[in-house]
Amino acid sequence: MLYLLRKFALLLLTLFVAATINFFLPRLIPGDAVGAMMAKYQGNLSPQAADALRLAYGLGNEGSAFQEYLKYLVKLLHGDFGRSITQFPTPAADVIAAAAPWTIGLIGVCTLISFLIGSALGLYSAWKGNQRFASALPAIGLFLGALPYFWVGSLLVYVFSLWHNVFPLGGNLDPFIGDSFTPKWWSSMLRHAVLPACSIIITAVGGWLVTMRNNAVSVMGEDYLAFARAKGLSERRILSRYVLRNAMLPSLTGFGIALGFVVGGSILVEQVYSYPGLGYYLFSAVTSKDFPLMQAIFLIISAAVLIANFLVDILYTFLDPRVRTGLGA
Amino acid sequence: MSSPATELTTATELTTATELTTGVRPGTPLTAAVSANAALELHGLTKAFKCGRGGRVVTAVNNVSLRIERGEVLALVGESGSGKSTVARLVARLETPTSGSVSVGGQAVPRRLGSAGLRALRRRVQMIFQDPYASLNALNTVGYTLSRPIRIHKLAPGREVGAQVSALLDRVGLSPGALWAARRPNELSGGQRQRVVIARALAARPELILADEPTSALDVSIRLDIMNLLLDLKDQEGLSMLFITHDLAGARYMADRVAVMYAGSVVEIGPAQEVIGNPQMPYTQLLRRAAPKFGEGTETQGAGAQDAGELPLRGEVPDLSKLPTGCAFEPRCPHATAACKVALPPLYELSPGHLVRCVLFDPARPGAR
Amino acid sequence: MSAAASAPRPRLAALGRRPLDALGSLMRRSPKAAAGIVILLVLSLMAISAPLWTSYDPTSLAFKSMLTPSRLHPLGTTFVGQDILSQLLYGARFTMLIGLLTGLIATLIGTAVGISAAYFGGRFDEIVNGIINVVLVLPGFPLLIVAAALLENAGDWAIIIVISLTGWAWGARVLRAQAMTLRRRDFIDAAVSTGEGPGRIIFREMLPNLSGIIAANFFGTALYGVLSESGLKFIGVGDVTQPSWGSMLYWAAGHTALLKGAWWWVMAPGLCIALLGTSFALLNFAIDEIANPKAANAGRLRAARRGKGRVLASQSAAQTLTRPNMKIQPPNPAALLSVRHLTAGYQTPQGPVRAVRNVSLDVMPGEFLGLAGESGCGKSTLAFAATRLLAEPGEVFSGQSVLEGVDLLTLSESELRRRRWKDYSMVFQASMNVLNPVLRVREQLYDAMQAHGVTDKAKLDARARELFGLVGIRESYLDVYPHQLSGGMKQRVVIAIALALEPKLVVLDEPTTALDVVVQRQILEEIQAVRRRLGIGIVMITHDLSLLTEMSDRIAIMYAGEIVEEAPSSVLQSAPLHPYTRRLMTAFPPLGGERTRREGIPGRPPSLALDLTGCPFAERCDSVMPICSLQKPVLSDLSPGHRVACFLHASPEQLTLAKPEVNHVLASD
Repeated sequence: MLYLLRKFALLLLTLFVAATINFFLPRLIPGDAVGAMMAKYQGNLSPQAADALRLAYGLGNEGSAFQEYLKYLVKLLHGDFGRSITQFPTPAADVIAAAAPWTIGLIGVCTLISFLIGSALGLYSAWKGNQRFASALPAIGLFLGALPYFWVGSLLVYVFSLWHNVFPLGGNLDPFIGDSFTPKWWSSMLRHAVLPACSIIITAVGGWLVTMRNNAVSVMGEDYLAFARAKGLSERRILSRYVLRNAMLPSLTGFGIALGFVVGGSILVEQVYSYPGLGYYLFSAVTSKDFPLMQAIFLIISAAVLIANFLVDILYTFLDPRVRTGLGA
Repeated sequence: MSSPATELTTATELTTATELTTGVRPGTPLTAAVSANAALELHGLTKAFKCGRGGRVVTAVNNVSLRIERGEVLALVGESGSGKSTVARLVARLETPTSGSVSVGGQAVPRRLGSAGLRALRRRVQMIFQDPYASLNALNTVGYTLSRPIRIHKLAPGREVGAQVSALLDRVGLSPGALWAARRPNELSGGQRQRVVIARALAARPELILADEPTSALDVSIRLDIMNLLLDLKDQEGLSMLFITHDLAGARYMADRVAVMYAGSVVEIGPAQEVIGNPQMPYTQLLRRAAPKFGEGTETQGAGAQDAGELPLRGEVPDLSKLPTGCAFEPRCPHATAACKVALPPLYELSPGHLVRCVLFDPARPGAR
Repeated sequence: MSAAASAPRPRLAALGRRPLDALGSLMRRSPKAAAGIVILLVLSLMAISAPLWTSYDPTSLAFKSMLTPSRLHPLGTTFVGQDILSQLLYGARFTMLIGLLTGLIATLIGTAVGISAAYFGGRFDEIVNGIINVVLVLPGFPLLIVAAALLENAGDWAIIIVISLTGWAWGARVLRAQAMTLRRRDFIDAAVSTGEGPGRIIFREMLPNLSGIIAANFFGTALYGVLSESGLKFIGVGDVTQPSWGSMLYWAAGHTALLKGAWWWVMAPGLCIALLGTSFALLNFAIDEIANPKAANAGRLRAARRGKGRVLASQSAAQTLTRPNMKIQPPNPAALLSVRHLTAGYQTPQGPVRAVRNVSLDVMPGEFLGLAGESGCGKSTLAFAATRLLAEPGEVFSGQSVLEGVDLLTLSESELRRRRWKDYSMVFQASMNVLNPVLRVREQLYDAMQAHGVTDKAKLDARARELFGLVGIRESYLDVYPHQLSGGMKQRVVIAIALALEPKLVVLDEPTTALDVVVQRQILEEIQAVRRRLGIGIVMITHDLSLLTEMSDRIAIMYAGEIVEEAPSSVLQSAPLHPYTRRLMTAFPPLGGERTRREGIPGRPPSLALDLTGCPFAERCDSVMPICSLQKPVLSDLSPGHRVACFLHASPEQLTLAKPEVNHVLASD
């Protein structure tokens, strides 16, 4: 329990740090970045939007930076992420609310799938280390892990949408699909998701593979494995109860860190497929200099990653008795 | 039944204990105890570690008072977790004492030491570690390792360092020294490595050597060689030595006097022959009984050893974060009485220089031994 | 030791010391590293020599738009008419520079933060560790996008700094952990206690030992840098007019190159990024694998189950006939375990090391046999080889190990598994780590029994309770995890597991070495009591002869892979015959009697890689005779049950047998 409490404290601390970075980053940038930005929008910006922007970045406001900061934190706690400039006056929260389910669905599911496939392959590679395919797997994993996500996305589009018209070119659903969650909707949704999902899985699998393989190899060098063999246990039992159970633990602790990387890469995939998730909006926010929206998306991605992390921590306590019962006799 | 331990305040117990453990007869004024003759003198040395975030406090060393005369070898015997290594690390200032005082060669070592003070201390006190595979940096040559103490303490002009290193190696039996100086630890056997470690300790020309289980990581066949080397060097260089070990036979072989530690406290101290040949504290008797009997003449099977025969070999070293208020050995002791739980008894003197921390020897106790 | 000691092999940990040596050794030892280095070299050459391959300026707009590949433009041209090949070549410079710089800066920050946190410890370390953890879990790339977008006008350096600032934490975390273990190593304490200051300790003692991990981390962060930079450029953040692989992809996507069929425009830079990334990843992986020996020992244990230890009977018989005057002894049918002419050892790159040399040994039912000798004398190898637990690179070269009439070394894999634990069990030396940390003690007791057909829950439970009673542990401890037990308790659990199926033979490999004297004595007494009660045969291996003489019925002394003396314990104690045994007997100080000076055994045992013609102990023996270095003494019976291999006690017949050979050798001298 102490372990989970500590992890939860870390979650809150990190969220707080993310929010703080968000607040201070535009103010720390050397030169008048915001001023320049305002200048760029001159004419295209409604007066209200300009005011909102000024307010958001502390230009010509009354209070001190610290008071502004407190106000900002309070607003965040109420779910107010500011307003998007390009879609003024739509609250950034609304844009996010529309986009987030797509991202969480796509990236969440793909991360899970690639974790499972990668770990399984890594375990196989360690277990059958002397076979040709098994020993080639780590190198393959390293290659896949070094591929840019968006590039794999582009290639898949080229092969399966442009060259052979198997899957749709982009988007999340066919137009005029009607009600959500009908069989037609599901089929369209899945058809649109296949290519983005594959690009994410192909590139993310490598990292999990290598991690799991290294963990499993070091577990296989442990004395308790030799002892299990000496006991005459079946290979299956050794693999599941001894190798897998122990090799999984460091994979899970590394999950949080790796998740940040995977999500970072995956949001670019959304851009390739015009998949209307957070990554796509982040991209359009970047191109249209919609800083409030950009920052709100950063915050929400952070929150999602941190929460996923915390869920993994909870799972971890079930798998590692040392954490559950506290270390030491 | 009144417990004498409760009557003693901590302060008086401390002084009594000091006088007694240092071998000074009761009644001698305390000032005489801080004699310039002592190579090492510990007064109420205590170290408490904070463990983890739970705020658990582990008292590794609990009010230890000891004294080593010049040219003397004192063996500190105990099981793992008894605090014997921590005592050495406190003296070497690898750890800072929580309380208590340390004097080396009659000079008190201040609790707060600047880098100059630390360097001065480390010239006078050197440590030999247990595992020669771990205590030598595999990437450095023997020559580099040995030259460092000489350079740090400026014991020779730069061009003479090499010659000094060779001489050191010759002294520990690695000749020709110049040849050995060029090697790296991975080219040496365990025994040779330990000789290098000993040479490093000698390089600073210290007065006091703290040898922390210097033979237990070595093969049986070379343990005696290393012990002999230490004894020879002690005689040649006029060193004093704190010899830490868990092996009673080794302690007896090396030491003039033996101090037995249990759960952070010294529980018995006295001349080596007497403490090991005729242990009095029930814990020392247990250790004695557990030690292999081999090579032991039947004639030395004294009363203590017979007593020990009845001891049950139950229980394990207590949790140092939950030490009882009384004698830490009480839960395992076959002679435990209600008095044992009240407070940690002081050291009682049985014969000149032989002291035992056990209520069985309280002179005020009816039927005391 | 000879004066010409072999030159030390350059280790990877010493990367900082001899970079070229280390690089060479790295390439030889790891094909992955070699591949990584080759790719990196090719790409670097490509970047450096760009002007040699193309005469076009990558930014020149001199050509026609969207040309297809041709001799003049091997990769065609862009939408605005730039030559794609020249962009690719010059772009390599920028992309690689970004990778190297971000790798360098992030590694520098990570190393400094990690090592200082580990060195100074305490509150400082706690705060630093908190920061590391926060930075680690913050999704770096989205932050990078926001920061880089804000910094748009600040140029490439700003991007490099920002990438480094989001990428240092992983290295800091790894280095902190490694430096902490290093900090606890004795040689750091030793340096501190000689009076060494923090500067030299960090830079001279710690840093060189961490150089492998630092190098691995550099390649890891360089990979992160390259992927981040290309990602940023791809979405148009940063200076996309600067030719780089990332900006090429940005323009290709912007001008819908794929829709127009110009797949090479997308393919080439992407593949280059992937290649560069792969080379970084390969180097990171390979260095890490070598710097972390646990992972490097991959497959060490794999062979045990694959039956590498199996030898064909015919082959074994043939190989033992190496010496003509040696009689082949058949296994003793009365013995519980009868080892015959067992030769085993390890395959090393320098050739086989024979750690066990033609050993024959019997264990009678219910007997306690002690096996003693210095470390490296082959006693553990003998135990592992005889029970067919020797793992790769260990190998049984020849011989038999017959347990109740069945040669364990020729059994099939499944038959072996059935017999293991049921007929014989083993208590390992490193018992601290032989229990699976994630399973309850109860389960680990159960699975030994379940693997051999006991599946009834009630029976399992009853047996578990019974076993714990036998080794003196409270039943409530059945449901704890290994980390909740002390060392002594763990060893008891392991012994309980070893007794679970009431095997007739239990092999104990240094069962109490790591334990304190009192606990050691408790456990040995329990073992003694249990074996008397159950009539189990025991082989106990230890270097502690004093313990063995108390415990054993019979003792065998091993030296340099051979048994040199074997006798009932009391006989060996009162009248040891072999000079080695005699010296071993006096090699430790006594607990009683006069305090006299004793000597250890001078010299070292011979290397087990050598083939010795004479007695292996001859070099260290104080009663050495000319014959000893010429011929090997045969283990022969002096009195019933007392065997010695020494010419001091050889029968006249043996000496005469040896004579002609001696004369012959002397004559030819």
